[in-house]
Amino acid sequence: MDKYGDYLYSFALYRIQDDTTAQDLVQETLVGALKSKKNFKGQSSEKTWLTSILKYKIIDVIRKKYREPVLEEIDFESTFLDDHFDARGKWKTGPAKWESNPENLLEQKSFLDIVKKCIQELPKRQAMALTLREFEGETTQAICKVLNITTTNCWVILHRARSLMRYCIEANWLKKRE
Amino acid sequence: MINHWIFNCKDISRLISRSMDQKLPLGIRLGIKFHLMMCDLCLRYKKQLELISKSMSKIETDRQDNYPTAHLPDQAKKEIKKALGF
Repeated sequence: MDKYGDYLYSFALYRIQDDTTAQDLVQETLVGALKSKKNFKGQSSEKTWLTSILKYKIIDVIRKKYREPVLEEIDFESTFLDDHFDARGKWKTGPAKWESNPENLLEQKSFLDIVKKCIQELPKRQAMALTLREFEGETTQAICKVLNITTTNCWVILHRARSLMRYCIEANWLKKRE
Repeated sequence: MINHWIFNCKDISRLISRSMDQKLPLGIRLGIKFHLMMCDLCLRYKKQLELISKSMSKIETDRQDNYPTAHLPDQAKKEIKKALGF
């Protein structure tokens, strides 16, 4: 508990953004781990094992929270996406150039800060889908289950999330360079 | 199959995202490739999405190296210890 408490708490807090729930999850994880101690075979480190238990508990919480579809959110975004293309599906202005060597951007803290900020500005459901995909490496099937949506909707949500992210990063990054 | 050669930019932007989540059929992949050979804007779009994905992986790795960032309140610690029977 003293060894991993803060680590597990940070892990949960970042993903749930609610301190009471995060504390409860840490408790459930540790109690659960103590009960199923014999299942721990030492193939992974103790820390990895505890983290994986916590992860399942977090996904459960998210699943309950996002069960209800949020329709107005989806309507709003589809208009946003359509705005980028003309009637024949061609770019109106198109993506701007960010840097001659984009790999350099990965090393710039100011760029990564913009990425972080843009994740937070995404509509909640999109942020959840994209972070599960990119941070946790979950498959689309797993994400569909968590958000309780069809696979097709999942692809649509991820597409919108990436498109909004790209737009948000571009707007903030170009402004910063001016 | 012929239809795959006439994707427009809007289709391509959707398919680029899709290709990051699943393996697309060969015909569609060729259609995307063909479009990207002629369309600099879509190629830029693709590279930027890949960069965003890489940035997010980097943020996640950096963050894992930087735990712990939050501390359990003492009261919560006490309660958890009680629940654990310590």
